[in-house]
Amino acid sequence: MKNLIRVTAGIIITIIIYTALAKISISAVQIINLFSLVVIYFAMEKGEVFGACLGAFCGLIYDSFSLGVFGVAGIAKTLTGFLAGYVSKKIDVNPFIRSLIFIFILISSELIVWGFFYSYIFSASFNTGKGIVFLQPFGTAFSGSLIFLLIRKFKGVTSKHKK
Amino acid sequence: MPSFLKKNKNIKVLIGLIFLQLILISIQVPLDEEETYFEKLMFSVFSPVQHGVVYLFQKTGSFWKSYFDLKGARKENERLKEEMFFLLQENNIIRNLLQKYKSENEINDALRNIQENILHARVIGFDASNFYKSVVINKGFLDDIQKNMPVLDRYGNLVGRIVGPISLKESRIQLVTDNNCGISVFSEKKEVLGVLAGDGKGMCILKYILSTDEDFFQGERVYTSGFDGIFPPGISVGEILSLETTSGLFKKIMVKPYFKFQDLDNLAVIKIKNLNVF
Repeated sequence: MKNLIRVTAGIIITIIIYTALAKISISAVQIINLFSLVVIYFAMEKGEVFGACLGAFCGLIYDSFSLGVFGVAGIAKTLTGFLAGYVSKKIDVNPFIRSLIFIFILISSELIVWGFFYSYIFSASFNTGKGIVFLQPFGTAFSGSLIFLLIRKFKGVTSKHKK
Repeated sequence: MPSFLKKNKNIKVLIGLIFLQLILISIQVPLDEEETYFEKLMFSVFSPVQHGVVYLFQKTGSFWKSYFDLKGARKENERLKEEMFFLLQENNIIRNLLQKYKSENEINDALRNIQENILHARVIGFDASNFYKSVVINKGFLDDIQKNMPVLDRYGNLVGRIVGPISLKESRIQLVTDNNCGISVFSEKKEVLGVLAGDGKGMCILKYILSTDEDFFQGERVYTSGFDGIFPPGISVGEILSLETTSGLFKKIMVKPYFKFQDLDNLAVIKIKNLNVF
């Protein structure tokens, strides 16, 4: 139950930040893939099955915000969630630089998978926003690593207070 | 069953999830069919969150403005008064011209009809996969929004049309820049008919103009023809940006839409089929 509340809160916060960012600058949401960050965060914490399920769900939410075939982003995010959970069990990806590289690889692969399905289903190349979308792996990796680091620090402080 | 699948149930879950989503994609083909109930449900659940965030932003913005932007408000007020003065003059001239053809009552009725059938809407969300495909507005089923209603920007230029899903207070607009959009249009000077589609990158392409057809002018305006049965005739869409005669059957004509994506905030939804009341 606690997990469900945390995930729901995470998703709602993501939608809020996504909407606010889109209102401020449309390029910002192209640079930072917020939904994938939620998937990666919980996948690293709960494992690959949880990551895959959450990836599927977040992908469907992402698709509900766009016109066209429903389920395209779902496949890419499912794979991202699964890989994030699987790899993070084998390798410690918590240090900042490792986390940066880890998220960078995951988001790059997700972009390739999503791009492939998008081009295949819509028979058209996807809009790169004058190349801005190619900054997404780095933008997401940097902001994600920073956010994850801050969350860990915050958790550390609160657990010390509890003791 | 392969042995690795027997051993690893996690892989089975992954394959199952991907398979389910592939089925979900397959049942939506061909494109532009009625949305699935699942899609409608997702839209109805998550678009109100976007609506709420934008509402909060707007309220915070207006609070900020009312306290810190009073100087600007005075200037803005003067500018609006001046603009209104000229609009009233323009309105009177048009009314007088119209009286040559129609009676005062007919004109008043027609204008009232237009006013009653224009719904003001605000953009609350952008398309996550491609911004030039669609936007979400804060008007829905409760505001009598229906599919295929044309949507104009604040200057009266065509933005797109309502497509599904439509929830209680939110709905989606397919923009003219979407590559699945098709509008019957004609050019201003040569009056050549064609089909306008988006290129998915912020521009439009005027299709099916034969290479043997008369040349267009760069900067020539493009209007809706009304032949598609969706958009009323005479709405300005954009202007010809470039034209190329290819070795193929048709010309390659790029059209720059008039609506500005950065300025896409206040929109007008046209609730009547026929705007051409005069």
